[in-house]
Amino acid sequence: MDVLLRPVFSVLAPPDLKLKRPGWVTTPSPYTIFFFVLVSYFLVTGGIIYDVIVEPPSVGSTTDENGHTRPVAFMPYRVNGQYIMEGLASSFMFTLGGAGFIILDQTHNPTTPKLNRIMLQFVGFGALIISFGCCWIFMRMKLPGYLHG
Amino acid sequence: HSVGAGLCAAGMIAIVPGYISRSVAGSYDNEGIAIFCMLFTYYLWIKSVKTGNIYWSALCAVAYFYMVSSWGGYVFLINMIPLHVLVLMICGRFSHRVYVAYCTVYTLGTLLSMQISFVGFQPVQTSEHMLALGVFGLCQIYAFVEYLRANMTPEYFNILFKSLVIIISSIIAVGLGVLTLSGKVAPWTGRFYSLLDPSYAKNNIPIIASVSEHQPTSWSSFYFDLQILTFLFPAGLYYCFSKLTDHNIFIILYGVFAVYFAGVMVRLMLVLAPVMCILSGIAVSSSLSTYMKYLDGSGSQTKAASKQGKGRQDTNSTQQREGTAYLFVVLMTFFLVTYTTHCIWVTSEAYSSPSIVLSARSHDGGRIIFDDFREAYWWLRENTPEDAKVMSWWDYGYQITAMANRTVIVDNNTWNNTHISRVGQAMASTEDKAYEIMRELDVDYVLVIFGGLTGYSSDDINKFLWMVRIGGSTPEGEHIKEKDYYTPSGEFRVDGEGSSTLLNCLMYKMCYYRFGQVYTETGKPPGYDRVRNVVIGNKDFELDVLEEAYTSEHWIVRIYKVKDLPNRGTR
Repeated sequence: MDVLLRPVFSVLAPPDLKLKRPGWVTTPSPYTIFFFVLVSYFLVTGGIIYDVIVEPPSVGSTTDENGHTRPVAFMPYRVNGQYIMEGLASSFMFTLGGAGFIILDQTHNPTTPKLNRIMLQFVGFGALIISFGCCWIFMRMKLPGYLHG
Repeated sequence: HSVGAGLCAAGMIAIVPGYISRSVAGSYDNEGIAIFCMLFTYYLWIKSVKTGNIYWSALCAVAYFYMVSSWGGYVFLINMIPLHVLVLMICGRFSHRVYVAYCTVYTLGTLLSMQISFVGFQPVQTSEHMLALGVFGLCQIYAFVEYLRANMTPEYFNILFKSLVIIISSIIAVGLGVLTLSGKVAPWTGRFYSLLDPSYAKNNIPIIASVSEHQPTSWSSFYFDLQILTFLFPAGLYYCFSKLTDHNIFIILYGVFAVYFAGVMVRLMLVLAPVMCILSGIAVSSSLSTYMKYLDGSGSQTKAASKQGKGRQDTNSTQQREGTAYLFVVLMTFFLVTYTTHCIWVTSEAYSSPSIVLSARSHDGGRIIFDDFREAYWWLRENTPEDAKVMSWWDYGYQITAMANRTVIVDNNTWNNTHISRVGQAMASTEDKAYEIMRELDVDYVLVIFGGLTGYSSDDINKFLWMVRIGGSTPEGEHIKEKDYYTPSGEFRVDGEGSSTLLNCLMYKMCYYRFGQVYTETGKPPGYDRVRNVVIGNKDFELDVLEEAYTSEHWIVRIYKVKDLPNRGTR
């Protein structure tokens, strides 16, 4: 193999490249990846793909009895349709609920000062309750017969 | 992860609506078994990665064969496993166990899957399987490299390594490029390509875009099918990320990709449901076990503290911890109870009604049953010759074949796009043009579904635009353009303002024949369509090439017989 290549290299002079991987390319820490996964979860469950294909308006509109147009936040009676804003609001609620659990998990470290612990727990529980309640209310607004048969 | 998590996940999977929607009697598709096979294969894969035994890997390959034989979604599996191996390589966790597991699974699995005649030689020819093949090659190279590294001096090794990497990756890239361009390796098929590029189906293949299950998902579908699992999913991911092991990485990958694919297609929510349950089970059991420790330990702790006479501070903090623990446990129980009520409600309301017999409530609260489908199919069965051929839209193909026992032109398999497009052209053309197509397809009877009398909104007029799009998507249908069927202002209307192409096409005439004399609602003129909420535009017309054979009681199913060619030349 050497013998074949030698005549080629007597004519060509390979450049003296010093290639090395740039220093800032490293494998990221697990929590960075987790953050990106959470962001993608937020976008996908907000129905971003539905928005790209069907292109619904940001909020809907109806006219009431006086002829004024009023905005409608949630597309009613259809489980498989949404407006852009309502999708993003609900996926924010989902992520908030998940974040509540994560915050509550951080409170188990016994070395954190007491005030911080209490605040974190408060925020965690609050996040859980708010997100759950809001999603329930959103669903009621969408499907008026929800949980009433 | 732990036994508690597994039990929790099992309980959740049993009632999650996303999974139930496909396994309920009356709405059953082969995905019901396929999900079981998929989970079984994944379980065996994780087991084989943990132990590195050939025994488990071989079992995994057999389970994979079971999966291939049940559902076309095995492509997801054959891409998820190589992806897992690739990620393990990148994270530096590649070990001989993974090597043994993957090689066995890939070789045995591919050989077994090629035994299924539908799959045939696809594993070596289509792009969907190329990742598995590539990772297989990469495994060999990586293992070989590790072997060399263990046996050679570092400098020499580095030179050899870099040159080998460059040579081999260029060979692979050029080889793949040549094979794809020359057509030996087929590019991604339409169904799977539309998962990667969601707008592809909308622009190029209307049939795939029209199936209502293939629509992208909205947030309410996620919530409706999964309820609290949507909150517990990020929490479960977090717990997996805090303790990264080989199998945790697999669950993470599966979860992330399943969420993306379920977002693209509603039908794939089914694939998402099990992994959501698994991750939520992990979240619930991890958090509950952490909090339960306080409840268990605090009892003995307070006793010990008071015995040793420690300060009041300790007892206060433990009491507080007890308090929060109780609060958390109560909250979690509340969530789980609401989850069960939600699942029960959803299953009974949305996923349990048969799709053939419709029911509605009249204004005084009583129930009316619309049994028109079965009535009409039974008429077809009893009153037409045995070899009669029925043309309808493909949604009703299986129903007609099973209940009326007659041959149909196109059915739910949607195997032949050109054929369906021909039917679409027949429905969308005028009577004379449609008659030519019907003679060509040798049709005896035509069946349409019409909801204007009852207010049934999934009828053929509402599906008509899809028929136009599909009819216009092949070369013979180029004269059919969707905008001809809209009004000048761009609306789809069936009243007097509707476009004349729409008001004279075959589908319109078949649906609204004699409808102009029928009174449907009090206070409205005859011919009022209760679904579109307008009076129809073209009322008094006669049919030239069809004659009405049967209309069901509530006008939902209408059957027409195709007239023979006239005896003499002129009509």
